[in-house]
Amino acid sequence: MSSSLKIDGLSVSYGPIPALRNVSIEVPEGGFVSVLGSNGAGKTTLVRTITGVLYLQKGKVTSGSITRDGQDMTKLKTRKIVTGGVAQVPEGRMLFPQLTVEENLRCGAASRRDLAGINDTLSEVFDLFPQLPPLQNQLAGLLSGGEQQMVAVGRALMAKPSLLVCDELSLGLAPLIVRDLFLLLDRINKEGVAVLAIEQNARIALQHSTYAYALEVGEIVLEGPSDELRENQEVQDLYMGGGGDSREAYAAIRREVNR
Amino acid sequence: MDILASTFFDWGVNLQLLVSGLALGAIYAVVALGFVLVEKSTAVLNLAVGEFLMLGSYFGVAFFMERKTNIFIGTLVITLVMALFGLAIHYGIMRPMVGQGFFAIVLATIGIATVIRAVVQMWFGPLEKGNLTALPTGTIEVAGTSIRWVDIIILLVVLGSVGAFLVFYARTRTGLHMRAVASNIEAAAGVGIDPDRAYAITWAMAIGIAGLGGVMLGHFTPSVNPALAAIGLRAFPAAAIGGFTSVGGSIIGGLIVGVIEQLAGGHFGTKWREPVAFGILILVLIFKPTGLFGQKDLERV
Amino acid sequence: MTSVTETATPASRQILAKRTPTWMRALPFLVAIASPVILDKISWNPFGGWKLLVGFLVLVGIGWFAWSNAEHDPDDPRLSLKLWHRADQRALAAVTCFVLMAIPFILSTDWEPPMDFPWNSWFRIVNYIILFALGAGAFNLLVGYTGQLSMAHAAFLMIGTMVGAQVGLIWEQSFWLCLPVAALAGAVLGVFFGIPALRLRGLYLMLATIGVHFIILLVWKEYIVHQFGFSGMRFTTPNLPSWLHWIPGINPEDGEFLINSQFRWFWVNLGITTVGLLFIVNVVRSREGRAFAAVRDRDISATLLGINVPRSKLVSFALSSALVSVSGCMLSYYNRARSEDSFHLELVLDYGIIIVVGGFMGIQGAIFGSIFFFALPMYFEWMREELPIISDIDFFSRYAGEIDLAIRGILVVVVLVWRPDGLAGLWQAMKKRALLRMQAPRRGVVQ
Repeated sequence: MSSSLKIDGLSVSYGPIPALRNVSIEVPEGGFVSVLGSNGAGKTTLVRTITGVLYLQKGKVTSGSITRDGQDMTKLKTRKIVTGGVAQVPEGRMLFPQLTVEENLRCGAASRRDLAGINDTLSEVFDLFPQLPPLQNQLAGLLSGGEQQMVAVGRALMAKPSLLVCDELSLGLAPLIVRDLFLLLDRINKEGVAVLAIEQNARIALQHSTYAYALEVGEIVLEGPSDELRENQEVQDLYMGGGGDSREAYAAIRREVNR
Repeated sequence: MDILASTFFDWGVNLQLLVSGLALGAIYAVVALGFVLVEKSTAVLNLAVGEFLMLGSYFGVAFFMERKTNIFIGTLVITLVMALFGLAIHYGIMRPMVGQGFFAIVLATIGIATVIRAVVQMWFGPLEKGNLTALPTGTIEVAGTSIRWVDIIILLVVLGSVGAFLVFYARTRTGLHMRAVASNIEAAAGVGIDPDRAYAITWAMAIGIAGLGGVMLGHFTPSVNPALAAIGLRAFPAAAIGGFTSVGGSIIGGLIVGVIEQLAGGHFGTKWREPVAFGILILVLIFKPTGLFGQKDLERV
Repeated sequence: MTSVTETATPASRQILAKRTPTWMRALPFLVAIASPVILDKISWNPFGGWKLLVGFLVLVGIGWFAWSNAEHDPDDPRLSLKLWHRADQRALAAVTCFVLMAIPFILSTDWEPPMDFPWNSWFRIVNYIILFALGAGAFNLLVGYTGQLSMAHAAFLMIGTMVGAQVGLIWEQSFWLCLPVAALAGAVLGVFFGIPALRLRGLYLMLATIGVHFIILLVWKEYIVHQFGFSGMRFTTPNLPSWLHWIPGINPEDGEFLINSQFRWFWVNLGITTVGLLFIVNVVRSREGRAFAAVRDRDISATLLGINVPRSKLVSFALSSALVSVSGCMLSYYNRARSEDSFHLELVLDYGIIIVVGGFMGIQGAIFGSIFFFALPMYFEWMREELPIISDIDFFSRYAGEIDLAIRGILVVVVLVWRPDGLAGLWQAMKKRALLRMQAPRRGVVQ
């Protein structure tokens, strides 16, 4: 099976501070992969590196590569990456608060050349999110958190991506809304779009993805099919607050990584 | 006080002041647009707008007074050249300064202003030139008062071009992308809009419009001289009364301030122009801290 | 790490460091500043043996001050609250002090060659640098530390001047009374005109303060025309307070000690600027100053931390305006003449250039910025007149003013693009690099 995205031995640092060390992740074509990690694990850095906005925070790729169809993406501009079919749902939504919902969605199509197709995609997105059409002319800054997240996902879909990168989709949202959003991701995934979900909420991420990685302090500490990881004692301790020794297990992993 | 009583209710005088106030207000609106557009999109307060207007006026001197160029061609060329200046400022100065504090960037624009002022004086000499006369110079009788054609033309040209810009900004795809960058640059970069390109277009348009306004200013004032640059500071209340985040508001603010200044100057003497304009500004700001049409910032802590 | 420094510092020294009160440690500085004033009256020849001896003693005192108890426990958190807690800071302070002491003697001496060297105008520039440093430091307290973008700086210079004229010229009181009255008036009006800052932020505050500038400018013009006519103010020469006269060596001339030379102004300006700048430094290090920084960084969060934000803003306005107003009064007395057009908005921009080019953070920025601002035109002038190639080209002398203006504008942009933290940042970086190089081998030993 060919891969949609292949990250190989990636290291990233902000000035002297390393954020990612030797990270390797693979997203198969049409697959649904999740990356778990707690605060400060390097999740957001990973997303920024994939989508090429690392330079805004003065970060630098020190080694490794991100390839897509055999082409290195670490040197590409965001515009080229989005044109190449990688769209992101950024952490904390990152909408354009002063623009209307429709304008927000249209901005998602900024990198597209086929102007005629944009309106079709817009109606497809509105079909996917039936809550949005009535809000079409509202300012995005005035929407509720769940609605904003829908706009953010819809905006990413406007680019007609073949890979959707979701950063902390569940952040600050009610569990029911998170479930709905992940069900939507499943639907999008069924239509052939690969999904890379970067999540703190391991329970839901492992339910929906087929393969998962655990990221801690900038390194991949665990990986495997989601079903296996869900049964894994360590993962349960770490991310689901299951066992009694979660704090100790977490400390052990941190120690190991720091060494 | 008797001087005041004699002119205060003279409607002919008031009409004259009103029309010249609107023309002045239209020029203020151009300057205010220059402030607002750049401030809104790139979060830079361009204090050099006044100097760019002055430069536009001096280009007018070079084209219309010294070479007798056709007014349409000349204005077009001046606007384009000024737009190129805008590009140069973006790529040469503003892009390397991204991420620096607000005040530092403001100071950099003051540095630009200083350079423009010096270069203009070296090029054209310190003496003042007469005003430009490429536009029709006659007057028209309305309700017993004579009103300058120039005032009316300035008003129409400025409102027309600014209106065209507003349509561009609100309706086209490029305009949408410019607004997206102004709203949230990181998100805009994330969806594949090139913020750099949007900034460059913003600068080019803002300075280009300032060039157009400069040509108009050269026709409005009695003489073209280096002190014209002060219009940049005088247009501040215009931009702020309208609200610094509202492009449309800046135009209304410009017209309001222009009329108020002309009325105050005409009735009480010219030294009252700035204090009255800024006094009104302070009052407006105390009651509506973001101006009449400005958006409130939604701030997360 | 800690063990090394503990053994390196004898216990006696540590005790000395803790027990010496601040005023005693500041003594060498005060002596250094005060002695030339006294010596000026005592001796006849600027470089007579007397002065050399005393100068040497002062130098030794400064050296003692700089290097004694220089090594503290680096982990002591109280250290960061101390004014000059590292050896290099003390050394710098000492060198600065010495240079400042030397300047007036060098500039006031009748040197033989080169005869045409403009010593006196250089002295004027030095005095202006000192006075502008005070104004810029006060401006920076408001703009840099508290983050309130105010353009009402020139307005408070005008207020200081008006107070100076009213108290000193019309009521014919002493110059030394003008300064506190100017400070008081500045503080009160600063609070009054700071009220918009409670509602406004950033750009809008800046605009409102431009409004304040124009309103006070109107008052200024009315005042000067009604009280002094169109010829403007002419300030009298102030004299030193009479209680100084009984200090041995200060001999009143005709019963008074007039501050009538650049030399004497130097000491007066330096004294007041030093007091003012040290005051700012200490305010910034205090609880109040940390509140200022919190207000600057995020005023809503500051409210949540329990900081009374309106109070902090008003205190900052009051302190800054009081000092600006004092500097305005000083500047006017030093300048002697003031007319209707003496203060315009561009003056605020000049001060802005000073603090931004100098660097926002710290008082060094104000000093470096003032030096940059005044020394640069002097340097250009010198180049124009002295350098063989440049002085031959007619263009440069014909457009002297414009070229200065253009080069200054370009330099401002270059400094800002190249070094966002200003000249003070450049200085810090250079010092850090030098210190690292000095410490590099030693650190190897420790590890």
